Amino acid sequence: MYIDPTSGSLVLQIVAAAALSAVAMMTRAREAAKSLGRSLVSRIRRWTGAR
Amino acid sequence: MDGRPLDSSYRDPSGFVFTRSGVLYRQINRVFADEFEAVTGSGLYDELARQGLLIPHRSVSLDHAATSQAAAVVQPDPIRFISYPYEWCFSQLRDGALLTLEVQERALVRGITLRDASAYNIQFQGGRPIFIDTLSFERRKEGAPWAAYRQFCEHFVVPLALMSRVDVQLGALLRTHLEGIPLELGARLLGRRSWGSLGLLFHVQLHAAAQRRYRDRPPSATTSRAVTAQTLIGLVRSLRGLIARLVWQPRGTVWAEYATDNTYTAQAAASKRDLVMAMLRGGAVREVWDLGANTGEYSRAARTTAEHVVAFDVDPAAVERNYLRVRAEAERGILPLLIDLANPSPALGWAHRERFSLEQRGPADALLALALVHHLAIGHNLPLERIAGYFARLGRRLVIEFVPKSDAQVQRMLRSRPDIFPGYTREGFEAAFRTCFRIDEVQPVLGSERLLYAMTAVDQTSPAAP
Repeated sequence: MYIDPTSGSLVLQIVAAAALSAVAMMTRAREAAKSLGRSLVSRIRRWTGAR
Repeated sequence: MDGRPLDSSYRDPSGFVFTRSGVLYRQINRVFADEFEAVTGSGLYDELARQGLLIPHRSVSLDHAATSQAAAVVQPDPIRFISYPYEWCFSQLRDGALLTLEVQERALVRGITLRDASAYNIQFQGGRPIFIDTLSFERRKEGAPWAAYRQFCEHFVVPLALMSRVDVQLGALLRTHLEGIPLELGARLLGRRSWGSLGLLFHVQLHAAAQRRYRDRPPSATTSRAVTAQTLIGLVRSLRGLIARLVWQPRGTVWAEYATDNTYTAQAAASKRDLVMAMLRGGAVREVWDLGANTGEYSRAARTTAEHVVAFDVDPAAVERNYLRVRAEAERGILPLLIDLANPSPALGWAHRERFSLEQRGPADALLALALVHHLAIGHNLPLERIAGYFARLGRRLVIEFVPKSDAQVQRMLRSRPDIFPGYTREGFEAAFRTCFRIDEVQPVLGSERLLYAMTAVDQTSPAAP
C-alpha cells in the first residue's frame, strides 16, 4: 500500500468486522436453537398422539 | 517535457502518467506488473469501462515507455477539461463519492480492492463523473481491512458532511487540504451535528477517536479473519447509505435566484441570447468558458455553437442547479464549476506544480463575460486594464457585456459606497480592453443600456496583466 491507512482506521474496521461476525454468529445460533426446539416439539406431539 | 512524469503523478511507485508528443500515457512499472496483470485478467477493467465508470484505455507497445522500469504502457482516453474537488459543487463531490464506492464494491466482488480512494481519482467527462486511475486496483489480501477507508472519509465523507450539516462554503477547505479534510478537524467542526446520524458517529467521530487512540500506539495486528470481502462490502454499503443521506438544498445564497430574478425582460433575454450565439459563430470555437455563468442559460446558448462549455460561477447554489440540470437532462458538453474569478484556483501542491491554476488550463477558444465586468471593476475594485489583461490570457476571443453606471445593478452596488470609479465609462471600458483586444463588433442589448462586445485577443503577453 502506498498511502498511510493509519492504525486507527485499520483497528476500527477490524473491531467493526469482529462485532458484525459476532452478531451474525449469535443470529445463526438463535435460528438453529429455534429450529431444534420446533423439531423436538413436533416429535413429542407425534409420539404422544401415537400413544 | 516529453516522457517526464506529470508533476501530479509522483506518489505511487507502481507507475505514473506522462505525455509524449501531446498524447497522454500511463506507465505501469515492473514492481506492479503482477498486480496489473491479475486485475486485467479479472475482467474488472472491461466491466467498469463498459459501464462508463472507468476511463477506457488501450495497451500500446513498450516503445512508448518513459523509463526502463516499464512493464506495460496504456493510453487512456483524454479528459476534456481537468477540474479539482475544490471546484466542484456539492452534488459533483457526492456523485464522485458514490462512484468511488460503486467501483470498490464491484472490485471486491472480484477479489480486488482500491489501493486509494482519493477524490483526484475522479474527473468529469460528458457531464458525469468517471474514475481515471487505472493503477488504483490490487488483489485483496485475506483478512486485510480497506487501506483507503481513512482517505475516503477525508476526501469525501467529511467535506460532504460539513457542506450538508454546517455550511456549503466549507467545501473550500478542500483547497487548503489537498490530502482531504483531516478526520479530527471534521469531527470538531461537526460537533453535535453528528449526533443525529449513526453513520457520522461511526465514520467520522469514532474514526477520529480511533486515530487519536492509536496514533502513538500501533496495534499488534492489522489483519483479522473477521475482515472478509462481505464485511468490507458491508462497510462500503454503510458509507453509501451515509452519503445518500447527506443532502443540500441549493437556495439561500446571494445569486441562487438570479436566473429568475433579474432586470431582463423575456424579450431582452432572448435578444441577448441570439446576439451571443451570433457573436460566437464565424470562428473555430470548440471550447467556451462562460465566466459568471450562474445556472448556465447562456452556456447552453454557447453550446449550440461550441463542442464544450465550462460554466464557472462563484455561487454554490447556482453551480449546483446547473450541474443538477446537466445530470437530469444528460447534457454531455457542459461542465459547471465553482470558481471565484477575483480569487481563481491557483497552482497548488508540491512546488506549486501538482494542480494547475485556472490560467494554466487555458486558453479557451472563447470567453463569455456576461453581466460580470461591473462585479469585478466595482465590486472588487479591479482596474479595467487588469481585467482585460487577465481575460486576454484566459481566452482567444471574448464576448463581453458592458454594464453602465446607470444600470439598476450598478446603482445598487454604489448605493452604500462613494463612486470612486471615474474611469468606469463606455469610453474607459473600450480604451482599457483595446490594450489587449481588437473590438470586432458592438451591439446594444434590447431593453437596456447594456452593450455586448465581440473581441479578439491581439496580445497574449499583455503588460497590463498583474
